[in-house]
Parts: sequence; structure tokens; C-alpha cells
Amino acid sequence: MKSGERKTLNQSDQNEFINSIQSSFKNTSYNFDTLKINVDISSWIDTHKILKKDFNLSFFNWLSAVDWDNEVKTGDAPKEPVTPSFEILSCLSQTNSNNLVISSTVISKENAEIESLVDVFAGANWHEREAYEMFGIDFLNHPNLTKLYLPDDYEGNPLLKSFELISREVKPWPGDVDVEGMPEDSIVVEEKGS
Amino acid sequence: MSQTMDPNNMPFLSEASVSVEIETEDMTLNIGPQHPSTHGVLRLVAKVNGEKISSVEPVLGYMHRGYEKLAEVRTYPQVTTLVNRIDWVSGFANEIPFIAGAEKLMEIEVPERAQYIRLILTEMARISSHFVFNGAFPLEIGALTPIFLAMEDRERVLDLLESVTGGRFHPNFNRIGGVKPVAGAGPTTKKDIQDLPAGFYHDTKVAMEKVLKAVDTFEDLIGGNEVFQARTKKVGVLTKEVAEEYGVSGPILRASGVEFDLRKQSDYLPYDKFDFEIPIGENGDCFDRWSVRTSEMRESAKIILQAIEDMPSGPIQAKVPKVIKVPKGQTYVRAENPKGEMGYYIISEGGLGPYRLKIRTASFSNISILPIMLEGALLPDLIAIMGSLDFVLGDVDR
Repeated sequence: MKSGERKTLNQSDQNEFINSIQSSFKNTSYNFDTLKINVDISSWIDTHKILKKDFNLSFFNWLSAVDWDNEVKTGDAPKEPVTPSFEILSCLSQTNSNNLVISSTVISKENAEIESLVDVFAGANWHEREAYEMFGIDFLNHPNLTKLYLPDDYEGNPLLKSFELISREVKPWPGDVDVEGMPEDSIVVEEKGS
Repeated sequence: MSQTMDPNNMPFLSEASVSVEIETEDMTLNIGPQHPSTHGVLRLVAKVNGEKISSVEPVLGYMHRGYEKLAEVRTYPQVTTLVNRIDWVSGFANEIPFIAGAEKLMEIEVPERAQYIRLILTEMARISSHFVFNGAFPLEIGALTPIFLAMEDRERVLDLLESVTGGRFHPNFNRIGGVKPVAGAGPTTKKDIQDLPAGFYHDTKVAMEKVLKAVDTFEDLIGGNEVFQARTKKVGVLTKEVAEEYGVSGPILRASGVEFDLRKQSDYLPYDKFDFEIPIGENGDCFDRWSVRTSEMRESAKIILQAIEDMPSGPIQAKVPKVIKVPKGQTYVRAENPKGEMGYYIISEGGLGPYRLKIRTASFSNISILPIMLEGALLPDLIAIMGSLDFVLGDVDR
């Protein structure tokens, strides 16, 4: 058993990594400490191969999807108009630094299919099965595209914005009733110089 | 370890298998969902050939509560209540990355004292989670004694957590911008703020000394046990390449020799102010996974003892608006939880609640390697391998 050396955050290394990603990919953004690459659906697999091989992003964090729609049955709709579509997100990171990349691609709702990542990252298997049952997205060439959590005879895709949360319809959440005092009454809100 | 334990050193065994030819066929064995070693309601469909497992297919979803959907109809402060129940063995640690993500989107600077309180309680959650592991894992492979010691010592840590937050398992203590005033302190005025209960520092010191003693005991009692070593050494070896590809994180990844701990790499809590080490394993077997977790408890106790020594004074809550609205934006914040990397990808559209919340939990990725690790393993080793992964079904199914 050996012990790890003390490491500190190296801001310049992180900036260098962000610059190298931004120079290699056209459509990137860096907001709230999250680096995001937007790629076309055709280069989805290649992007992950490049990120794994050339950028040492060998750790597969997660894969998921977002249902973008203005007509929602649960929750709040986006304030600005959005094109109804699915956004597929994947997250890769390095195991020797805090560097992390979110890859994103947009697919249409009518033709909701995308190539499976299992050949590049075997760990994508369960994540893709989850996205399949929750959103109804087809992952092509997936070895075992069956429901992961839900029963086999379950109908519908629960994480779609058009899927109603029945329990909320039956009994609305008492969110507008405060059970405890608002922060101003009970907590020091102003920082006083000492 | 005694040589007689190794089946390869028993010549009569190999002769026996040559001289006797028995035709066997694969049998399907359902393990769980109601089985003590599955830590809840995991079901494994195993194909076994005699004592040997040819393939395993985990069946999930018996505990699926749909948190990602539920989060979409809740406000940000309400989501904190929800995420406590993901990994219920370390409820407090689940809140941290979500709250940190919301604070990042709102661009709130959290007061130092609140960060220290968060850090201390997170480490207490880690210790209590590893206590459960140190009790449950030996129990599963036949050692009855450690669980009584572990539960007794864990109770001291849970008492401390309760004295601050009011809850043993589901503290719901973090607020956006800081932490809640201490439980039972009553309405506090602006002058008189009570954030930690009286005697907390002393009690913590006593409890942490006990934790350090308990770790020594475990290393003798469990790690020094010949039977335990025979059941865990060179069993369920996981290479770091496979671990990384499947997103296996936390102590399991470190036991495979990868030196990665977000407490050192990331800045979600001020861990850089403390002196502690990251235990690393060499072989990636069940024994190393136990050993890494047990050593981690010692480091956590060291962090807590340092933190209460130089606890800063000041407010515990930053200035936040009365109604919390998170501006439009997307961020991913992750933290090193007792079971591995936990993170939240928050997509905010400027409303009272998140438009979409992706919850990345450690146990989900950690047990996705079960089909690979169990292929070709012996049936008794299945219990040891599953126990060493230390998963919680709430963390798998969400």
C-alpha cells in the first residue's frame, strides 16, 4: 500500500487543456467551469475516439439525454422557444486531473436514433439502455438494447416532457406553503466585517 | 496464508477431476432480489456450471424511484430533500455536489465557515459509510464479530451528525449559499448565531480518537485474519483499464492502482487546506478494496481533527434572494463521495426548478462491471466480490 502524493489544482494545465480542445473542435463552449463540445450526429463516434485517444479522456463518466420542448406536461417550459429535439450528452474525464468534457449532439424526435458508443466505451452499455427506456432513443448496434429499470411491459418513456407525472396531478406539491421561516427571519444574511 | 488453502497445491483434487467425468449443463440461478448479500433489491441471473459461474446478468429497477423526473417538478431547495435518499448510507455527501452546482450557476460565494462545516460532515458521512462496509463485508463472507464493533463506533459518528443536523441518515442540512442553523436551537437572532451545538469540538475529538482506534482494530481483526485473506486476496481482480472504461470510481478505482481522488483534484470543498493522503491499492482484488476503504477512514478522521482545530469564524449563510431562482445555464459538478464519483448535470432555464437534472451516481457505474468480474468466478467468490464493491441499491437505481 503506497500513498498518493499531494497534488494541487493547476490552473495553467487546465487552461492549456481547454485551449487544446477549443482548437481541435469547432463548436465549443466553456461556461460555469463546464467544457462542452457540440458535434454533428455523424461525427459522434469519431469524436469519442479522438477524445479517448488524443486527449487521454479514458474515464467514461455518464451518458444521458435531454428532451427539448416548449410544450411540457411536467415542470416549467423553457422561456425562449426551442426546436423540439433530443440532445444526447456524454461525459468523459481524465484520471490524473480534473479535466472533463461534455460532448453533445442533437437528434430529431421523428428519427430518434444514434450510433451506440459501446464499441468505444463498453461502460456506455447501461447508460444507453437507460436513455432508451426513458426517452425512446434507439441506439444502433447496441448489443442488448432492452429496458434497464422499467418492467418489460411498461408503456411510455417517463423522462419525456410530454409524459405526465400522475402523482403530481393527483396531489399537487404544497410548494407555495412555507413550512419553515424564510431565510431572512432566521439566518444572518449579511456578512459583517470583523 | 497457509499453503494448504490453495487448490492448486492439492494434487488429489486435479486427479479427481481427471478420473471422474461428469457431464454437467448450465443451470440458471436467481440470486436476489431478496438476498442479504445484495444490499437491497438487486437481482442477479447467474448461469452456473457446478460451482463455476459462466455468465451473470444483473436485473435492476426494484428500487427505481425516478428521481430525475421528480426533480423536474421541484424547486431547488426541495431537490435537496430528494437527493438525501439516493445513497442513504451517506446521505449528507449526496447534497454537496447538487448544492455546489446550484451555487455555481447562481455565482454565490459560500462563507468559509459553512464550507468547513460541510467538509466535516461529509467526512463523517464517509466514515459512517465505511463503518457499514467494514461490518457488512466480513459478515457476508462469514465473520460475525466486526459488524458489532463497527455499528457501535458508527453510532458515535451518527450521534455527532444528528447533533448538528437533526438527522442521522437524511440530514437535509445544506442550503443554497450555506448551511442551516443547528437543529433545535430555536429562532436565532442576527447577533446570536448557533451553527454548531455546544461541546461539538470536544465530542468530535473523542469520537475521532475512537475511529482511529477502531481502524487499528479492524486492520488486526479483519485484515490479519487468515480466512479473510484467503477469501479476498487475488479474488475479483479488476484492472485499471477495465475500471476506467466502465466509469468505476472511488475506492474501487484506487484499489486498482489509479491515484484519482476528486478531493485532491477538484475544489468543491476546501480540501487543499488539509494534510491527508490517498490510499492506493496494488492488486485491485477484494482485499485491496477493503484495505483502501479502511485506510481512508483514518485519513478522514485526520481531516476532521485538523478542520476543528482551525475552524474559521463568521457567517454560515451567504446573501441569497428570498425566492431562489437559478439563472439560465448548464453545469456539471462532481464530488468524491464514499462510494465514488457523484455528480449532477444541472440544466437550468431560469425557473424555480431545474429543467433537467442528470444524476450520476457511483454505484450504478461500479456494479456495471459485475458481468465481467463474475464471469468464470466461483459461486462463493460472488459474495466476496459483490461485498467488496460496497454498493447501495438506492445509489444504483436512483
